[in-house]
Amino acid sequence: MNVEKIIFSMLVGVVGLCAQTAPPDFSGVYYPLNPFGRFAGGPRAGATGQPQGPPPRPTASAPLSDGSRGRTPDEPSLTPEYMAKWQMISKTRVAGSGEYDLTAKCLPPGMPAMMSMPYGMEVMQNKDKITFFSELNDALRRVYLDARKPSQKVLDDPTYAGYSTGHWDGDTLVVDTVALRDNTFIEGFTPHSDAMTVHERIRFQEPGLLEDTITVTDPKALTKPWETVKTYRRATREKGTDELREFACAEGLGDAK
Amino acid sequence: MKAPAIISCAVIGTALLLTPLAQAHHSNSAFYVTKVITIKGVVKEFKWTNPHVWVILTVDDGKGNKVDWKAEGRPPGILARAGWSPKILQPGETVTIDLSPAKDDSASGLIARVTKEDGTILANAPPPTE
Repeated sequence: MNVEKIIFSMLVGVVGLCAQTAPPDFSGVYYPLNPFGRFAGGPRAGATGQPQGPPPRPTASAPLSDGSRGRTPDEPSLTPEYMAKWQMISKTRVAGSGEYDLTAKCLPPGMPAMMSMPYGMEVMQNKDKITFFSELNDALRRVYLDARKPSQKVLDDPTYAGYSTGHWDGDTLVVDTVALRDNTFIEGFTPHSDAMTVHERIRFQEPGLLEDTITVTDPKALTKPWETVKTYRRATREKGTDELREFACAEGLGDAK
Repeated sequence: MKAPAIISCAVIGTALLLTPLAQAHHSNSAFYVTKVITIKGVVKEFKWTNPHVWVILTVDDGKGNKVDWKAEGRPPGILARAGWSPKILQPGETVTIDLSPAKDDSASGLIARVTKEDGTILANAPPPTE
């Protein structure tokens, strides 16, 4: 065997190894499946003719509802203290108040609520970091993939998105998030404590269909860990939906003319 | 007999003309989202603004009064993907709006859809992602 053949064999081996271990590329713009619940907003714009059937409810998206119908079994199971807090917030919402609605104040939804991504998500990925951007309130989170760990300084400085570190388990990205503020909501307006942590397993269910299995643990607020699964379809340039729009929430504050 | 401009209506308080919007960017909790009423009127102003668009609609209340309804819509990003654009509604044009009324009984609501006079429907969301 001459030298060229040896080098070629080595190259094939290296390429083969890389092909086996290279993580999937999640980069792209995505929209959640069924972002607006049962309704999708009625007929597509541009349709002509008289509206058929009843118009859609504007907020069928609503985990944002006011709680007047109580909680469902698939929502996080709250300890008595946090159930009382939820009931208190529900009363304000039934009364029409947005006092406890972070997004109405142009604040970020925070983790894990932001992963609902109702208005679309953009994923940016490289070897050392993956970044998730939410069109809703221009919210952002970064997941560090370079084996760093949250420092005490980070733990002492909670944020809306928290501090996320991740690693690849085969084709699945495993992410742990800590250092989360306690004034955000798990989903809807379900409260949590400063002890909440979030664990995620993110993978392609099939090409272009991203799945995020989210497990929320909070020994103070939850009687047991809560799991939810979000799925998102990658947008394509052909459909013209692969560009998110600026949100600039503060533009509308104090301006109701 | 002149047809009432308000086609179907559940809740229209007597304080319509007296109650200004208290804040510009509303939580969904500000609206009766399980109800949808229909109003028809003339576009006074269309504001293509974040985080929500606004249609100010002058509506004849059937009693000889003109009422400016403030119809709040979804964000421009969502609506652009549903076929809206910054000039899709022009002042002076007549439209029908289905909306969820505000809990404070003001002449305002959250838009479910807008129907132009030629029958074009402006939905409040793009088609579902499968």
